[in-house]
Amino acid sequence: MLHEMLWNSNLDLVQSCLAHPFVQALGDGSLSANLFRGFVAQDTFFLRAFQKAYALALARSEDPEMSAVFCDLIAGVTQELKVHHAYATELGINLQNVVPNSACGAYTDFLLRTAWHTSLAEIVAAMTPCMRLYAYLGGELVRTCGLQHPYRRWIETYSGEEFQGLADRLEALLDQVGADRRAVRDGYRYALECELEFFTAALML
Amino acid sequence: MAPRDCHKALVGGLGALDKELEWFEFHARSLQVDLDIPPHPTCRRYTDFLLRCAHTEVYPILIAMLFGVEASYLAAWSAFTPAGPYEEFIARWSSRDFAAYVQALGGLADRHPHEAAQQHFNQVLVDEREFWKMFWQA
Repeated sequence: MLHEMLWNSNLDLVQSCLAHPFVQALGDGSLSANLFRGFVAQDTFFLRAFQKAYALALARSEDPEMSAVFCDLIAGVTQELKVHHAYATELGINLQNVVPNSACGAYTDFLLRTAWHTSLAEIVAAMTPCMRLYAYLGGELVRTCGLQHPYRRWIETYSGEEFQGLADRLEALLDQVGADRRAVRDGYRYALECELEFFTAALML
Repeated sequence: MAPRDCHKALVGGLGALDKELEWFEFHARSLQVDLDIPPHPTCRRYTDFLLRCAHTEVYPILIAMLFGVEASYLAAWSAFTPAGPYEEFIARWSSRDFAAYVQALGGLADRHPHEAAQQHFNQVLVDEREFWKMFWQA
């Protein structure tokens, strides 16, 4: 399966993300509220672009079943944004007019350039890493997540069955529309590099 | 869509760009440079920004960005006298014709202002600087 080959051939970046100090601090709960606030703001900016990219992928799909999957994926982002907005209200995060940091800007430019400018296969290849990575990180972090964990809701969102199911469905789409060609491999890996940079930038807020 | 008063400069610019690409392709062949490779992250980042904006930003912002791309190139190459092993390159981008094109783009940017134009122009200059650093530090 294409999605397994792509995931397995990029495990170096996946493991770097899991071992990243930001992710580790989020996982053990030691992440400062200030850094978490900044991360939520940047991630909200990112998710708005991610949702548009899904919409552009939807506009390119001719198959009604595939369109239905994109609708569900778009709804999934709406759900994620609700979690972010809830955190924003609780923690006093201003989500109006978020200015993207350098890593966030590069990632969203990449996604939107891909979504506007390339094939459905390349779009799905660029979007799958984010979904599978967060599902993976959620699954890893939830193992040691106690009831009093300050970021429990965040971890449960990504380790939950609903999110895992959405990642599975996007991977199934990748297998359906993708092919083992350079643009697909290249876009998938670059998206993971962007994920790693995103965590690094989140530590520097 | 670009306003009518911008068409002549842009169409002329596209024609010149096509010749420029042929020229680069010629040099790539003679230097045996493989053009079918993934872009360097710095190059990708810049082109992602340009192409994303081409799809999502309004025309006055785009003309300011194009002015930034070309003006920074003119400024860089005009710092040198056309001589030595890179004479052909220096002459190409410090020529009177290229300077006139850049001036025309600047005039169009002035005629079609936008509050976000400066911010996008500035980002182009940052990306141009990074582009040069990419070669120098490679």
